[in-house]
Amino acid sequence: MASSTDIGRGGPLPPPRPTTGVVGWMRVNLFSTRFNSVLTIVSGIILLVSLWYGLGWMIFSADWTVIGVLGGQMIIGQYNIEAACNGQNCFWRPQAGLLLVSALLGMAWGVAGNGLTKRIAILVVVVIAAFALLPYSLDTMGMDVRALLVANLPALGVGWALARYTPLGTPKWIVIFGVVIFFVILVLLRGVPGVPGLQPVSVIYWGGLMLNLLLAVAGIVISLPIGIALALGRRSQLPVVKLMCIVFIEVFRGVPLITLLFMSQVLVPLAFPENFPQNSLFRAAVVITLFSAAYMAENIRGGLQALHPGQAEAARALGLPGWQTTMLISLPQAIRNVIPAIVGQFIALFKDTSLVYIIGMLDVVEISRAFIQGNTEYLASAKELFIFLALVFWVFTYGMSYVSRRIEQHLGVGER
Amino acid sequence: MEETTGPEEMIVCRDVHKWYGDFHALRGITTTVNRREVVVAFGPSGSGKSTFIRTINRLEDHQRGDIIVDGIELTDDVRNIDAIRRDVGMVFQSFNLFPHLTVKSNITLAPIKVRHMPSDEADDIAMSLLERVGIPEQADKYPTELSGGQQQRVAIARALAMQPKIMLFDEPTSALDPEMIKEVLDVMQELAESGMTMIVVTHEMGFAREVADRMMMFDEGIVVEDGSPHQIFEDPQSDRTKLFLSQIL
Repeated sequence: MASSTDIGRGGPLPPPRPTTGVVGWMRVNLFSTRFNSVLTIVSGIILLVSLWYGLGWMIFSADWTVIGVLGGQMIIGQYNIEAACNGQNCFWRPQAGLLLVSALLGMAWGVAGNGLTKRIAILVVVVIAAFALLPYSLDTMGMDVRALLVANLPALGVGWALARYTPLGTPKWIVIFGVVIFFVILVLLRGVPGVPGLQPVSVIYWGGLMLNLLLAVAGIVISLPIGIALALGRRSQLPVVKLMCIVFIEVFRGVPLITLLFMSQVLVPLAFPENFPQNSLFRAAVVITLFSAAYMAENIRGGLQALHPGQAEAARALGLPGWQTTMLISLPQAIRNVIPAIVGQFIALFKDTSLVYIIGMLDVVEISRAFIQGNTEYLASAKELFIFLALVFWVFTYGMSYVSRRIEQHLGVGER
Repeated sequence: MEETTGPEEMIVCRDVHKWYGDFHALRGITTTVNRREVVVAFGPSGSGKSTFIRTINRLEDHQRGDIIVDGIELTDDVRNIDAIRRDVGMVFQSFNLFPHLTVKSNITLAPIKVRHMPSDEADDIAMSLLERVGIPEQADKYPTELSGGQQQRVAIARALAMQPKIMLFDEPTSALDPEMIKEVLDVMQELAESGMTMIVVTHEMGFAREVADRMMMFDEGIVVEDGSPHQIFEDPQSDRTKLFLSQIL
């Protein structure tokens, strides 16, 4: 019965059949006008030429050995040199920290169940374990190092089992363990005077990607709550609180991070007695965190401003006190709405951790640059090294933006 | 402040004034709403009717006069304000459901957080209220997945979950498509028949004629006429009322 003439009069029509194939797509998107056709051809030629030479260089000319020579220094800096650890071998301490992180990832997987968390946890740990297979000689990378790397796989399983078969498998415990593990790692790396095997290692030897990640994780975790507090404070009706928050935000936003870092090293010691124990890493972490918190505060304030005033009114009309209205109604919606800006700030913070080179800390970029400068025979390999560094940063930041997109989808941002 | 209200008086307003900057929004409102009474407030926009009901749960503060709700005088004392808000439900023109919570969580939030009700008990109450407003099957959806009429019915259920003694409706059907207005008015009518004390700001004159005990015509911040629906519709005294009714009927 359903001939085409019937459909026109009665029932719903099927959507028009897509008529564009590859050729159709190209006609619409690449060659729609004469000008666009010229643009397409010109940019296509440029693209092809640069790909040809770029890929050709990467495959045939590039010499990636420098990355192997630098090797572990990119990850832990000078942590394992003789001077750092009183002649002992201290490589196991960062690696033990890594095992704890793997176990935590396993716990997160066990709590969240199958899905994104599982995929991220497995991917990260498999990549770590795969480092054990790097084609170094056993002199450069001993069996003990390799064994500890592979041990991340069972660590993941232990974490997963802990979450699944013990009462520790709740988000609350993940957060508690996360904080505990962070401090355990700091103690592991720093060492405890008088404890055999845990000789103190001065923070000046901490470096490489480990340093970037420590600063970034501390900064991200602490700057968010400080930023929220500052945002709420700036909207407070108490003039003193409001003024203090505004001054803080404007001062930290108004000064370049590099200046703040430099000031922290030069000015903070002036405020303490000469023999007072000073720790440049701690000072750097504080400055990076506060700097990020000032930006975070403005992101979150933007989210709060965008809320319809009826939301808070409805909450107040139900008898919710002011602070519960903020915690249960305003903040969750505000944060949800500014996830892209918050993650953008996290990414900026992670990249900014490289600036600690200004106070003499050897982060992953600086240690690479210093290596090239100190070993002129590798001068020609600077290209390869910095391409590799760019890739490393990109992998981490893209990971962050991927996770944030998945969280947005999960929360239905923009849909409800 | 128990002295000046009788047992049947739920809301007593004496010479209530309100300014927005220099604009004199309420210019001396004096009225009493009794228990189980349904009052419809109407009048042109900007006449102060919405402002008036928003002063009753202190979403707006009044600057002169007294408002006494169920024996408690509204002052700047936060404890009084929170006590009154727990007993006064409000339904807004734009629903104001919480978009990040499911329908059921919208309803159970205040009973759990303010009345400290166990969550399974709050769930039971939420489901029976959704039953009452006719949409139990929507409990686990998010507000934006519902039609306007359904959202407003959830908003009514949310207010009722606090077991209020008084319900305020601020133009509850003005944002709705015509075919959804009736489903909301039906719920409100059922509520009125169950004995709820209600003040309703609305232009739905059919609803007013059928359900209201009393109608108050607002204009320029004062009550120009106050009487039964029969008197207002059949024998309006004020020229302003006559003119306004002739424009909307």
